[in-house]
Amino acid sequence: MSAIALSLAIAAPAVAHHSFAAFDLTMQKTVAGSVKQVDWTNPHTWIWVNVPNKEGAVEAWGFEGMSPNYLNRRGWTKKTLQPGDEVTVTFRPLKDGSHGGMFVSARRPDGTILTMFGEPTDQTTNR
Amino acid sequence: MSEHVRHQHKSGNAPRRLANRLSLHRVIFGAMSDRKIILGVAALLMAAALPRGLAQTVSRPAPTQADWLAVSKLPDFSGVWEIPLGPTRGLTGPQAKLSLTPEYAARKKAREASGVEDDQTANCLPAGMPVIMGWPYPMEFVLAPGKVTILLESFSQIRHIYTDGRPLPTDPDPKFNGTSVGRWDGDTLVAETVGFSPLTELERNVAHSDKMRIIERFRLTDPDTMTIETTLTDPEALTAPFTTTRVLKRHRTWTLAEYVCEENNRNFMDAAGKAGVKLDPRK
Repeated sequence: MSAIALSLAIAAPAVAHHSFAAFDLTMQKTVAGSVKQVDWTNPHTWIWVNVPNKEGAVEAWGFEGMSPNYLNRRGWTKKTLQPGDEVTVTFRPLKDGSHGGMFVSARRPDGTILTMFGEPTDQTTNR
Repeated sequence: MSEHVRHQHKSGNAPRRLANRLSLHRVIFGAMSDRKIILGVAALLMAAALPRGLAQTVSRPAPTQADWLAVSKLPDFSGVWEIPLGPTRGLTGPQAKLSLTPEYAARKKAREASGVEDDQTANCLPAGMPVIMGWPYPMEFVLAPGKVTILLESFSQIRHIYTDGRPLPTDPDPKFNGTSVGRWDGDTLVAETVGFSPLTELERNVAHSDKMRIIERFRLTDPDTMTIETTLTDPEALTAPFTTTRVLKRHRTWTLAEYVCEENNRNFMDAAGKAGVKLDPRK
């Protein structure tokens, strides 16, 4: 388990933030596909990825991300991921087995890895 | 918004109700100067005729240049401050343990045993005090004559800490963020808050009574570091005061963002307390 997810799990008892009970924080999975849609919204961003299934048809998987408020302060913009981008997403799966989970990272074909945590940066534009 | 009117709703006291209505008229029609003067005088006469303390109006005259100069001499709390996300959410020092009374410990135990997986923030209810001060989104302090205003990015909340000498309300309306008054003790802002909605918690799964009080001491410990020492007391819920200390960092280049939880909330907690996610990509 990554240090960040572990720290989020520990944070719940002492200080409230809505929990991550719907996600299995003990494991990570990956799927590959192309970005269908990015919801650059509060309380969470959502990254929707078209993933081919075993029959070759395409299904939309949904990954819950950090708030755009948080991401804007860590190098992301609403255009960082765009429809059509090829990505391999690593995520904490939804416990009920439905197609999605909590976003952990995304790897582009050129090897670039996007994560949602990290040290805050300047926020020099008013977005 | 030039006045702060406090009512006591007791039946059978026509003069007081009339004074309350007149004071309300001052608030509503205050922009119209003639009516303001007439109603203001009437309200003053009515208020003077009443026993003290029953209908209290706090008048806020326009701040003078001297008032703003005085604000400029206060510690610089301006700007956007962040509580770091992480295991301690900015809490520093040895961590105090909540010491609950038997009744409230039993309520907490029952709550946990019920299988509840989340809290109402999953359904976009603001966290309220004291919990919201630990949420991992920034806050902005705005100093003005007579008050310090904290703008919390979490749920786009506002806290006013009145420093104009008004007393705490003795019978406050229950609110998510309570009602706060404060004073400057040297370089420390000392704020006291009372009157909390039963829809808020003292901590996850821990209820508070209507007697909870919160004292906060805000102080700069270096040019861009603020320490907030928070003490909760609650004679029904806690056997001892509970004090925590949090450290915030200022980010001069940040601007406070909007946070409308209902914009695209796909998390929920159902009536049974189960946490879930709504997974359908709306177009």
